Amino acid sequence: MSTSPRRWAVTGLAAVSLLGTAGCAASSPAPAGGSGITGPYADGTYTQSGSYQTPGGEETINVTLTVESDVVTDAVAEPMPSNPTTELYQGKFSSGIKEQIVGRNLDELDVTKVSGSSLTSSGFRSAVDQIKAEAVQ
Amino acid sequence: MDATEFEAIGTHWRIDTPLPLTPHAGAAVLAIVEEYDAVYSRFRADSRIAQLAPGGSITLPAHGDALGRLYRTLYRLTDGAMSPLAGTSLEQLGYDAGYSFVPRGAPAAAPDWDGNLDWNGVRLTAHASVTLDVGAAGKGQLVDLVSDLLCAAGYPDHVVDAGGDMVHRGATPAQVALEHPYAAGSAIGVVELGGRALCASSSNRRRWADGLHHVVNAATGHCVDTVVATWVLAADAMTADGLATALFLAEPDTLLAEFSFDYIQVFSDGHARFSSPLDGALF
Repeated sequence: MSTSPRRWAVTGLAAVSLLGTAGCAASSPAPAGGSGITGPYADGTYTQSGSYQTPGGEETINVTLTVESDVVTDAVAEPMPSNPTTELYQGKFSSGIKEQIVGRNLDELDVTKVSGSSLTSSGFRSAVDQIKAEAVQ
Repeated sequence: MDATEFEAIGTHWRIDTPLPLTPHAGAAVLAIVEEYDAVYSRFRADSRIAQLAPGGSITLPAHGDALGRLYRTLYRLTDGAMSPLAGTSLEQLGYDAGYSFVPRGAPAAAPDWDGNLDWNGVRLTAHASVTLDVGAAGKGQLVDLVSDLLCAAGYPDHVVDAGGDMVHRGATPAQVALEHPYAAGSAIGVVELGGRALCASSSNRRRWADGLHHVVNAATGHCVDTVVATWVLAADAMTADGLATALFLAEPDTLLAEFSFDYIQVFSDGHARFSSPLDGALF
C-alpha cells in the first residue's frame, strides 16, 4: 500500500475573510464572538500539524494555510496515516469539530447567497442587501 | 447578472442568469414548479399525494422514481427515522394541512413503510390511511428540475435558489453564507459553491410551540433536538436536501458509506461537526 500522503487542496472553500470587507470595516459592528484574535495577519504560508487518537494508535495530519491580505487563500490538509485502516478512512470519512460556532455580522461578508432556515431566507437576503447598501454610503 | 424572483411552494425563489430569462423560459419555470406542487403538496387537498390519504394508488411523474429510491435508501440508513410517512407524525404534533399548530396528542411514530406503502417506480400504493410528506427531498428535486430546464433552454450558467436551498451551474462559483441557527442577521461561515448543490435544514424557525418543530423522527414521532442545523453540498439538490434532513437522524459516516457529499452539522450545545474539505468554512 502506498505510503505517500494523499493531498487535497480546498482553494476557494477556504477563501474566507479573516477581517471582513476592508471597505466596510469602519461601519461594521464587531463580530458577535470568536477567539478575540482580529489580525492583521502577515502574508505567508503557515503549516501546523495535529495529532489524534485512533483505536490503532496516534495519527497525524498536517494543515497548511496560505494567507494573503488577511484572507486565507489556500488550505491543504495532508493526512499522514500510519496504518492502512486509517488511510482508508481519513479520505472519505475524516471530519472536523468546531467547539463553538461563531457568528459574524452579514455586513462583514462578501457573499451573494445565504443558506439556512428555508422560510426566512428571503427576508434574510433582503436584510443583507439592505445592510450592505447602508454600509456602502 | 439578471435575477428572476417569485414566490412558490412556501418560499422565495431567485434564479440568477447572465441574461434575462425570455418570457417563454420564465413561464416554463413557473409551470414546472406549479406541476410539482400540484403532485406533492401536503398542504393542498387537491394534490395528487393527498388522494392517497384514504389508501389507494396514484401514478407519479417520471421523476417520482428517483425521489422514491432516495427516500427508500435514507429510510434504510436512518433505521426508519426518515420516512415519507412522517406526515402522520407531523400532523399529530400540529403541523397539519390547516396549519392548526395544535398537537392532537402525544407524539406518534409514523406507520412502517413496509406493509403500508409500496413505492415502485412511479407507482405509489397506500394500503392504509397515510399522510405522505416528501418535503425533506422534494424541494431539492424541484430545484434540480428547474436547473435542468434552464440548461435545456440555453442557460447553462445559473443559480437556482429556493429559499436557501440551491444549485449552482457554470464557471464562476458563488460565495454562500451559512445562516446562524440562533442569531438572525449573522452567519457562522461561508462556503464556495461551484457546480454543486447546497441545501440546509434547520429546526430553529419552523417552530410552533415549545420543543415542537418540523424535523421529526418518524420512528418515534418526536422532534429531533440534538442537531439544530445542517448543510450538505452534493452533486444534485435532491440528494443534498434529503441528506440535510438525514443528518438530523443518522451519523454522517453511515450516510457517507453510500453517498458522496460534504456537510456541516450544528448541535444544540453550539458545537459543529464538518467534513474535512469544509475545514476553514466556519468562522
